[in-house]
Amino acid sequence: MQNFEFLEPATVAEASRMLVDLGEDCRVIAGGTALLLAMRQRMLTPSHLVSVGHLAGLRGISVDAQGWLNIGALSTHADVAASPLIRAQWPMLASMAARVANPQVRHQGTIGGNLCYADPATDPPCCLLALDAWVVLGSARGERLLPLADFLVDYYTTALEAHELLTAIRVPPLAADAQGLYTRHLRTAAEHRPLASVALLVRRRGTACSEARIAIGASTPIPTRIPRAEAFLAGRTVTPAVADQAAAIVAADITPMDDARGDAQYRRHSVHVVARRSLLLLFGLPQE
Amino acid sequence: MSTHTLTLTLNGEAVEASVPARRLLADFLRDDLGLSGTKRGCETGICGACSVLMDGRVVKSCLSLAVQARGRAITTIEGLSQGETLHPVQESFMQCGGLQCGYCTPGMVIASCSLLKDNPHPTVDEVRHGLGGNLCRCTGYAQIIESVLHAAEMTAEKPHGN
Repeated sequence: MQNFEFLEPATVAEASRMLVDLGEDCRVIAGGTALLLAMRQRMLTPSHLVSVGHLAGLRGISVDAQGWLNIGALSTHADVAASPLIRAQWPMLASMAARVANPQVRHQGTIGGNLCYADPATDPPCCLLALDAWVVLGSARGERLLPLADFLVDYYTTALEAHELLTAIRVPPLAADAQGLYTRHLRTAAEHRPLASVALLVRRRGTACSEARIAIGASTPIPTRIPRAEAFLAGRTVTPAVADQAAAIVAADITPMDDARGDAQYRRHSVHVVARRSLLLLFGLPQE
Repeated sequence: MSTHTLTLTLNGEAVEASVPARRLLADFLRDDLGLSGTKRGCETGICGACSVLMDGRVVKSCLSLAVQARGRAITTIEGLSQGETLHPVQESFMQCGGLQCGYCTPGMVIASCSLLKDNPHPTVDEVRHGLGGNLCRCTGYAQIIESVLHAAEMTAEKPHGN
């Protein structure tokens, strides 16, 4: 491992000033599971690490008076998976968090760090996109809120400005008839990086769908909502044929990545299959 | 480059140390403290041979800086037994033959302790997922899973501190 300075600011404002002063050559470290791996592989060689692991006020999971979920950015994936509030009110989020990577990463990696790293082959961004999540960005100059859809810009790229830190994630309350499901495709059971992921959130009565949100991740550079498939499902009674048609729209509308882990055609096909199976499961229909 | 003083609890005892920022927790344990039970395997977060408990939960010490352990309680494989009495998970791995070459074993045992702490009565599938961050290159998984299930039974009869 190369040499670097390890800085430990006491507040978000102090961390923000450090990030501005040090510029491009520094990186923020929270849990460190992704960053240290990138550094060990010499993909990143920062001269300074700004550690936010001990910052106060970036932990804790709560629900406010309007019913919005607030997840402190330093919450680990295991914290999210185990939270009684999230398990009761946003079960698809808890279920997703319980599957991220492996137990070691879930105990150390943070949900805030995961979003800032913007690795396409991971689970939280896709699931949170379907949940219409927002991120809170703090700095020495104050705070701003951004929809997650605007925060995720491209492959490993976010809208985070040089002086900003992600401090919390906010998730709006779900409608009483809402039901969600997060599913993914792994190339092998032992691999922890999904090749395709599908997050569904629907409002339904039986098989009658009044509203649908569909987010696709892992197979695209950033998670993507599929408006044409969402519009297709809204107001429709879901049958196996309808589920397949919706999945076909999803597969047609993505711009899949094409790389050594999976070519574009394979990824498009995976998305089609995972989307169809997820819809069948969510609407209580038999799998083919 | 920066050097940091830290205090932590290691295998139940307070430890104070001075480490350069770049020192990995795995190297700190093995090279600075001589606790070579924690193994360096892939050193890229894949194999889990370097697993240790941080505040009772499994983490990979090759993906942690020593300085990140400040104020935390670290338990390595050396800290599981109580004197001559093995931890029930260690005992089970012995009884069930949950090891072949033994290189992955400290990590497997540590990950199993973390799993059983959160889920004292896991199913076979839950054991598989709970050990999803650990590889056995001898592929002796069947006996490893059996060892964890056996440990769960033993622990149910006689609870243990870790």
